[in-house]
Amino acid sequence: MADFLYLYRGSERVNAALSPQQMQEYLQRFQGWIASLTKAGKISSCGPLAAGGRTVNGPTAEVSDGPYAEAKDLVGGYTVLSASDFDEATEIARGCPFLNVGGIVEIRSVLSVK
Amino acid sequence: MLARLTRLLGPRHFDLAEDAVQDAMCAALETWKFHGIPRAPEAWLMRAAQNRAIDLVRANRRSQNLLKKLALDPTAGRAAEPSTADLQSTAPHDDCLMLMFSCCNPRLATNAQLALILKALCGFSLDEIAAAFFVIPSAIEKRITRAKACLKRSGSLFNLGNPRQVVARLGTVHQALYLLFNEGYHSLRADAPVRDELCGEAIRLAQLLTADLATRVPATDALLAMMYFNLARLAGRVDEEGVFLALPQQDRTRWDQQLIALGFRYLDASATGWQLHRFHLEAAIAAEHCRAPSLAETDWRRILELYDLLDATAPSPIVGLNRAIARGQVDGPAAGLGALAKLADAPLARTYPFFYAAVAEFSLALGEHQAAIDAFEHAHAVARSPAERCFYDRKLRQISRRLTSA
Repeated sequence: MADFLYLYRGSERVNAALSPQQMQEYLQRFQGWIASLTKAGKISSCGPLAAGGRTVNGPTAEVSDGPYAEAKDLVGGYTVLSASDFDEATEIARGCPFLNVGGIVEIRSVLSVK
Repeated sequence: MLARLTRLLGPRHFDLAEDAVQDAMCAALETWKFHGIPRAPEAWLMRAAQNRAIDLVRANRRSQNLLKKLALDPTAGRAAEPSTADLQSTAPHDDCLMLMFSCCNPRLATNAQLALILKALCGFSLDEIAAAFFVIPSAIEKRITRAKACLKRSGSLFNLGNPRQVVARLGTVHQALYLLFNEGYHSLRADAPVRDELCGEAIRLAQLLTADLATRVPATDALLAMMYFNLARLAGRVDEEGVFLALPQQDRTRWDQQLIALGFRYLDASATGWQLHRFHLEAAIAAEHCRAPSLAETDWRRILELYDLLDATAPSPIVGLNRAIARGQVDGPAAGLGALAKLADAPLARTYPFFYAAVAEFSLALGEHQAAIDAFEHAHAVARSPAERCFYDRKLRQISRRLTSA
């Protein structure tokens, strides 16, 4: 088993396009998806990220507002989950309800010392 | 929620209130989808929207005055634990009505006023508004942007205490409630062909109008009568699978007699004054359907007369279509097809599935199966929701079954 990081990109864009009714449906589907993965013991941590933030840059440690303002689809949430390999992690991500509403799930493998 | 925030901030900051509500909704969606819905979601949202408004005000360094307004509200100020009691202590109903009247600024075209009301206060999506007006969504978006700019410039919220202005704006508010009810009665949503919560909200707001002498005009009563007559038949309109049922297939015992009685009460109350409003006519048509014990015993001649009157006072493509259908019921399917043919050039006829469905039904009654199949297939192609598509699928299957067994 290895750890994988899902980064949900484009929440702001996606959310703005949903009607209240669609939001409710999406909310329920996503909750169900997270619940089933949690029940299966796959998820070690997950959560939403607040909009905005700060970045600290380089040797001068210069502080500026906002994470990567040039990126179009910001990361709106994350999940750390365990899967046997990249293929399984991909397959699980393909079932994510975030995709149905037009979001992007970025999958990154967490490198281990082994 | 938007209505309440706008009342606190003033309509000049309608954008700010809207942004705050939108941000709060997004924050809620993001948080709840991972961690579940809190016990008092409405209070959570209102709190989040107020906090967000405070943040936005601070970030933009807008006038100190605004911050004061937020601070003056007893429920404002950041706190982790919101309570529902905070929200119940205010009167959001009146906020909603007041903002509706504020949206009806005479400097805006009526359609722009309506679009703004439906988007901002009724939670309609751009697609739904576009469908209600038979235009493309991008046109609606432009309309709403302009309307918002106008509302912002107007500076103050509408004063419900000024009877003359109330009356001047009442027509548009009526129209908005009418559209709100219609979307509930025939929703384009995939999962919910009928949304009684929208119908209920439209009736609730219309009833608030009857509570005030300035707004209790005959047309308000007629509008309510029409709503009750249609609401009474709502349960019979779809079957267990959520597919629409045509009038002949509807089980009339499922029509709610209590609601029909309410409809007649409002219809009686509306029969006063010198003005025959189109709501009077539409209510009277709905009343005829409710009165008829069966489809065969429906007084189609009377309905046709009412549609003739409606066509003369408030012509619309929908009225034209219904009038043609009534004509077919009175004078036979061939006359119905003839009346429909006259409408075939209207732009609506090409995109409105019920037009083709009407052609198909009359063709079927004449035994012209191929024409009926063609028309139902056309209706299917322009159908706007899964419930509609399913309805035409069924029709097509019925015809082919009939043809193979014959």
